[in-house]
Amino acid sequence: MSEAAFPINDLLRRKLQTSLIIGTLTLSVASTLFLLLYGSRLGFNLSSTTGTLTAGLTTTLTQFLLFIGILIFAVGAVLTSFIAFLMMAQRTRDFGLIKAAGCPNNLVAGYFVTELLITTSAGCIFGVILGFSMDYLTANIVFSKYPLPNLWFAPLVFIVFFVLALFFGALPLLKASRMSPVNALSPVNYYNLTPENKHKPLSRHGITWKISTRSLIRRQSANLRIVALLSIVFILLTVSVAGGIIASGTTISWVQQTTNKNTIAIATNSMGDQYELLLSKFSGASETGVFNYSDPTLAIPETVIEQLSNLPTVNIVDSRLVLNEQVSEIDNYTIDPDTMVTSTVGGNREGTSIVIGVNPENLSGTWNVEGRLLNENDNFEAVIGDSISQSMYSPDPSMHITLANPLVEGISIQNNTFNIVGVCVDPINNGLVTYVPIERLENITGLSNPNLLLVTLNNSKDQSTAIAQIKSLIQSIDPNLNVFPLNSVVEKNTSFLASTWQTIMLLPFFILASAALCLVGYMMLAVDEQHQEFAVLRAVGAKPRIIIFVLAIQSLIVLISSFAVGISLGTIITLLILIPQPVITSVTILEITGWLLAALAAMFIFSLYPAFRLAKGSILKIMT
Amino acid sequence: MVYAEALGKTYQIGKVKIEVLKDVTFSVPKAKFVVVTGPSGSGKTTLLNIIAGIDRPTRGKIFVEGEDLNDKNEDFLSDFRCINVGFVFQAYNLVSTLTVAENVAFPMEWSEKPEEEIEKRITELLEMVGLQDRANHFPSQLSGGEQQRVAFARALANDPQLFLADEPTGNLDEKNSQKIVQVLQLLKARGKTVIVSTHDLQIRQLADEVLSLEAGKLASEK
Repeated sequence: MSEAAFPINDLLRRKLQTSLIIGTLTLSVASTLFLLLYGSRLGFNLSSTTGTLTAGLTTTLTQFLLFIGILIFAVGAVLTSFIAFLMMAQRTRDFGLIKAAGCPNNLVAGYFVTELLITTSAGCIFGVILGFSMDYLTANIVFSKYPLPNLWFAPLVFIVFFVLALFFGALPLLKASRMSPVNALSPVNYYNLTPENKHKPLSRHGITWKISTRSLIRRQSANLRIVALLSIVFILLTVSVAGGIIASGTTISWVQQTTNKNTIAIATNSMGDQYELLLSKFSGASETGVFNYSDPTLAIPETVIEQLSNLPTVNIVDSRLVLNEQVSEIDNYTIDPDTMVTSTVGGNREGTSIVIGVNPENLSGTWNVEGRLLNENDNFEAVIGDSISQSMYSPDPSMHITLANPLVEGISIQNNTFNIVGVCVDPINNGLVTYVPIERLENITGLSNPNLLLVTLNNSKDQSTAIAQIKSLIQSIDPNLNVFPLNSVVEKNTSFLASTWQTIMLLPFFILASAALCLVGYMMLAVDEQHQEFAVLRAVGAKPRIIIFVLAIQSLIVLISSFAVGISLGTIITLLILIPQPVITSVTILEITGWLLAALAAMFIFSLYPAFRLAKGSILKIMT
Repeated sequence: MVYAEALGKTYQIGKVKIEVLKDVTFSVPKAKFVVVTGPSGSGKTTLLNIIAGIDRPTRGKIFVEGEDLNDKNEDFLSDFRCINVGFVFQAYNLVSTLTVAENVAFPMEWSEKPEEEIEKRITELLEMVGLQDRANHFPSQLSGGEQQRVAFARALANDPQLFLADEPTGNLDEKNSQKIVQVLQLLKARGKTVIVSTHDLQIRQLADEVLSLEAGKLASEK
């Protein structure tokens, strides 16, 4: 037999095992590569590249993606090493047999290193192809376009995983090459079993359970590896599913609360369309031309506001003056109380912002805000959007700004300074927005009327009738005015945000699939180790379901112990580190519990495949 | 007790067909001690496996205790083996994670015998095979002969009427073989139906009947 023929024939003879190893490696490489490609597209540099989402939400996503990325990489590394170890550990016996037949050590090692090279190369190549394909599909679905990704990720992932697989796969080979053929042929070595039984028999009953648990205890080395691997998988799953659901719910509520669901906009047709466009920028819409917000024809007469306020169907009339202005950062100073040293906070950076004048008493929505909302009695305050905060109020070494904090700095609009009292998450203009008191903005700009009304309707009334009534009222005063229901834009924004989170949460499912394959590999090891005994049990009268039961207990113990560790650590990480002030309801908890239990159940059922396959076989087939 | 009619077994490995048993017909009445002999590869193990319901014939019929084993499903055959058949393999085949007592106990647990009865039976069987002091030892702590005696005790756990042994002394020295022969003598004295495949002359001397297989065919019957 030629040196190349043995490894290929050996791999082909172990079809299921070979496909499992290549499949696991493929999924592991693919999910890591996909995460890097998609992460770079979505979270790592989102606002500047795609123009979607606000900077604050991007930061939350980025933090989340980075953590999941680290975990996926860790799982990928452990998974790769485990599967390579599993594959080669199962060949230790063959190593011993071939050596016993007189084959030189280096030739035997050559056979198995060739097998390792073939499987790892195939897994890594298929993984890279699958990773790119997944990124291509997702980018087209989520962003409806496919800008070329960073191609350097492919060799990076390929090399790291290839080296890891080779290293960990070579370890059992190295160990086997140092063993005498007799030792290599001993199950103690080729299954990494604990050599001596140390259990004291307490009872002579519950024997099926005993066969299961004692065999499990005997495979300490493999068990520790699979439990460690699955624990990381379940941490990853908890962080992504629990964290994803909580973060998704929290951020969606941030977006939703800025525009109340019963709110409609009233403005001229062009202003109404422009306001909808400003809201839609969050989900990817872009400006097609320059809009003149100061156009006097956009002004809404005072009588419209008065008459709307008198309608019983109307709760709040939120008058707004929406403008596009050049804004400047106003730096400040802090004094260290101990050293009395004065430090400059911020600089004098400039930018463009949508500036919205609002009446703090009559706001139709609210914001998730760091700091506080505008004070009714102070005309010199401003609340800025999170994107303005990040672009103009972050430390910037290139401009020698080492300290920056919007909440101690100010913002200048047409040479009028406002103290920043809050930073909010707001989808309007993707967070490039500044809220100031309307009265002050009118004084600065010389514009005396609002150009947009946000009207919150009474919840109990028939909405369509109320809207029709409002439309007829406003058009009787000014025929240029129209009603713009904002529900569809808000829904579009929230569903975009939800789909972004869902895509992130999808990532760990690839890892879950590879971990499930790995668990099947582990169960095959269990079957392989115990097949002789299973055959005896069957011959002596055990029904096929007893064999399935023995293996199911082993799988369940491994899964439950990993699940307990993974869920506990994952929950702590999610709640304490990733999502400050999470919005958690009983529905959220039920949803998370449902997903995690479904994942556990799916893995358990999947892991039983080797058991069912074994139980289906004849006793003589099991024996051989 | 056992009736085989035109029994045939063919294995297919790739495109090659190997005919292991050809037209074997015989009957073993109750309480008879039958020895199956023949050279290696003559089909002795296959014949015992078919009688035990471990394997199925390709052709012909096999009746054990009046049951046609050909048309029974796996669950029935499992119960049948557990209650009606005691089987001893050449290679001991004990469950390595169970103690001697537990190895003897598990067929009884599957036949849902009460705990007290199981305990009593374990003591009785281990005394019979002379291993009462090794009840809590694991198979790895026993010699080959001791392991084979435990396998005998396990095969007798449910007090089956039919006892099958496939070359039970094949891996043992003379002293240990002698002990196995004593156990077989005891079974014969108790009126069990015993079918043993063996080359051992001492066991052959116990036979009421000898079935000689050659290349899968029944060569002679004594």
